Amino acid sequence: MNFFNKTLDPVVALVAIAVLDVFLFVVVGAWTVGGGETMMTGLAAKAVLGDALEKIPFWHLVFPPTWGYWKIYISFGMVFGAFVSAIISKEFYLRIPKRLSEWVMITIGGLLMGVGIRLAFVCNVSTFFGLTPQMNMGGYLAITGIIAGAWVGSLVYKRILEG
Amino acid sequence: MSVLGECLIAFIFGSCVGVLVQRSRFCNAAALRDAMLFKSFRNTKALLVAMMILTVGFTAFMSIGQGHPMHFDVGMNQMIGLFIFGIGMVLAGACTVSTWVKAGEGNVGAMWALLFTFIGMFLFSLMWSVNYWPPAPGSMTGKPNFEALQFGFSNAATLQAKFKIPALGFGLIQVGVLYAIYRAIIKKENKHKIPAASAGQ
Repeated sequence: MNFFNKTLDPVVALVAIAVLDVFLFVVVGAWTVGGGETMMTGLAAKAVLGDALEKIPFWHLVFPPTWGYWKIYISFGMVFGAFVSAIISKEFYLRIPKRLSEWVMITIGGLLMGVGIRLAFVCNVSTFFGLTPQMNMGGYLAITGIIAGAWVGSLVYKRILEG
Repeated sequence: MSVLGECLIAFIFGSCVGVLVQRSRFCNAAALRDAMLFKSFRNTKALLVAMMILTVGFTAFMSIGQGHPMHFDVGMNQMIGLFIFGIGMVLAGACTVSTWVKAGEGNVGAMWALLFTFIGMFLFSLMWSVNYWPPAPGSMTGKPNFEALQFGFSNAATLQAKFKIPALGFGLIQVGVLYAIYRAIIKKENKHKIPAASAGQ
């Protein structure tokens, strides 16, 4: 299939995603990833800690862990869709970061993303594909923050690239 | 709709996104980082086009009281949280979408980033359980609460209720702003293009 043989123009891809997101908004709610990730964190923590998780107020006041939370399945779908697409297009193979500096940056970056999402109650997807198109005040605050953060991150990244 | 129906629709939506993002190599982190560092706007333009379509779609449905807008109070935590997130996504080299998509392609670094995103979220849950900030959705009132650095709630639907102008009207203004940014990027790109004639010399 030609679709899987060449790179798709991101504008075409994002137009299709936007149309699907409007449909999702009408049916259940706009596309988001951070909420599902938080619920997965709660479910994983419950599997490890069991009833001890009840002692952490966040997990019964804000995010009581449940498998019936639809946002989890968006992430499962994304990894499934990407896997199938990578297999068909023969682009699936294990890619392992080679340098220690890459592992360190990914580790720090992942931690900051997790803390940032929970502090903001939103992720980048909710910001650009949910809150801002709904003209929610939080979207503008979040965009200001993410642009400033990406700028600071880019300066750090550039410095590391330059060695 | 039943919980099962919601989860099924979410999975189908996610699967379509997974395929489209895998084939297009779109990344939100790259949309911001590449524009700032390399003056490359491939992902930025796609992001702007999507936001224009979404603004029209969402505000049109909100004008007639349809759809499921996000509903919670907002405040400084959105700005600070996404500032921290923005640094993290550039360092990790992936946003929330591309970590899942790259993980599906066998990228171990993306899987590692996801693991530490979960750990970061769990660490935050411990911090939140000490200071209870930002306020939990259950205690939100929709009104400003400046002591807690919360500004309340407003979106295109609240603007419609206040000004008696359809939400879509406000949406079109936002689309105009997004389009102006898109045009500015196109102009910038055209300015830096080497003319075909001189390139051949």
